[in-house]
Amino acid sequence: MVEYDSAKSSPAIIDEFVQLIRYRDLVFLMTGNILKNRYKRSMLGIFWMLLNPLLQTIVLTIAFGTMFKSSLSHYAIYLLSGLLVWNFITQTTQYAMGTMAYGGGLLKKIYVPRATYIVAAVGNGMVNFFISIFSLIIIIIFLDHPLGAAWFFIPISILILTIFTFGFSLLLSTASVFFTDTLDIYQVLIQALFFLTPIMYPLSILSPELSQFLAWNPFLILIEMFRTPIYANHLPDTSLIVNAVSLAFTTLLAGWIAFTSKADQLAYRL
Amino acid sequence: MNTTVIQLDNVTVRFRIPHEKIPTFQEYAIRWLKRRSISYTDFNALNNISFSIKQGETVGIIGANGAGKSTLLKVIARVIRPTQGRVFLKGRVAPLLELGAGFDYEMTGRENIFLNGAVLGFSRRDMANRLERIVEFAGIEEFMDAPIRTYSSGMVARLGFAIATDVQPDVLIIDEILSVGDTDFQKKSAARILHYHKNGSTILVVSHNPDSIRNLCSRAMWLAQGSIKMAGPVDVIMDQYSQDSMS
Repeated sequence: MVEYDSAKSSPAIIDEFVQLIRYRDLVFLMTGNILKNRYKRSMLGIFWMLLNPLLQTIVLTIAFGTMFKSSLSHYAIYLLSGLLVWNFITQTTQYAMGTMAYGGGLLKKIYVPRATYIVAAVGNGMVNFFISIFSLIIIIIFLDHPLGAAWFFIPISILILTIFTFGFSLLLSTASVFFTDTLDIYQVLIQALFFLTPIMYPLSILSPELSQFLAWNPFLILIEMFRTPIYANHLPDTSLIVNAVSLAFTTLLAGWIAFTSKADQLAYRL
Repeated sequence: MNTTVIQLDNVTVRFRIPHEKIPTFQEYAIRWLKRRSISYTDFNALNNISFSIKQGETVGIIGANGAGKSTLLKVIARVIRPTQGRVFLKGRVAPLLELGAGFDYEMTGRENIFLNGAVLGFSRRDMANRLERIVEFAGIEEFMDAPIRTYSSGMVARLGFAIATDVQPDVLIIDEILSVGDTDFQKKSAARILHYHKNGSTILVVSHNPDSIRNLCSRAMWLAQGSIKMAGPVDVIMDQYSQDSMS
């Protein structure tokens, strides 16, 4: 028989996880519904998801491609592989914050695991990420970019990337419930960070001091990890992989602890 | 039949109301710069509440607006965790607080049955087995595959009720008794609740209607300003309550 004891329940860190598994069907349904609602609206649906990064890449390649012709041979691939990671992280986190801050009304009405929203946001982001990977494949085929053995690493880097994004979303959505302007501040910050991250340009054009400083940019670590096997056909440096893995798990742990320990206050705050 | 199903020990729920609205970083930063602390008022929606309910009992909760009735139901339904004290609950709870919580109005009735079922903690497979019965009880057979934004509000409420009460719960929590749908449906839903009661479900009701409390409940609890003012047999409490509200 199910029991609920507000005093004796296991620590929130574990309890939330157990509940999430119990409510797994809700997580799947929510993810599916976000996607359904999004694509039912327009006939172009999934086609848009493909077209958007393609157009972005084409425009940017026309604008900057010649500038980096000598240092980056297949500029479009370099650009798009970085852009996909960037979009995945920023769109997922923004979506997660949005659903918690504005769509979390359900949490005031009925008990559901609070992390459901965040997991659904990450699930939705992943599906979009996989769809937009097809645009990358189209460009790879079009440019006749060579396939390499290092490509086996791509699923691993996606996994690490997802772990980071989940943790980061948890951290940011916790903050956004307590401070309603978190999303606005975040949007300004990532706008600036976009130009400070070598997505549109090679790292080598930066001064040594600046690029050393940027080595701490978590976005850069994750982008390099995803981009290197695709663009350069070799594995990322071991030190980079170690950094990325520790970054991902530290973020997840911090996010999970922050979120679950504040979860009970969410119904009071939303 | 003598096991305790719901028990509250010294439960307090405290809301913290900041005097200035809008909690933003910006506000905090400005206040911090001005060296002004942020002032709050603490407001106890529930104040040191203790009681226990045994299996099969029907308990009515009465009190003026803002007395803490809804907060009490929420604390029992696990929506908010008490600031202090302990809430203990045994068995599956069907909260009829928000019928159709999480309904997506762009989706069809069928899709929403699965969605709302998942919100209530049921698996997909469970819901697939119950689908037919739910649709029949709600009486929406022809509209199953239409988005529920095309439904009347009565139809939406009927569907919500049908989903929430499809299987017998151990504890039923009802906020403002069943003003769901037309007279026929009200009879049908009342019959279902009585049936569950006969089969051993514990029922907790909040209502402003003294008659429905007298009819359904054996015990009553009178809340005032977050505390229990009186509790006991329904007739005693209701008589006192109606005297009090007359004067």
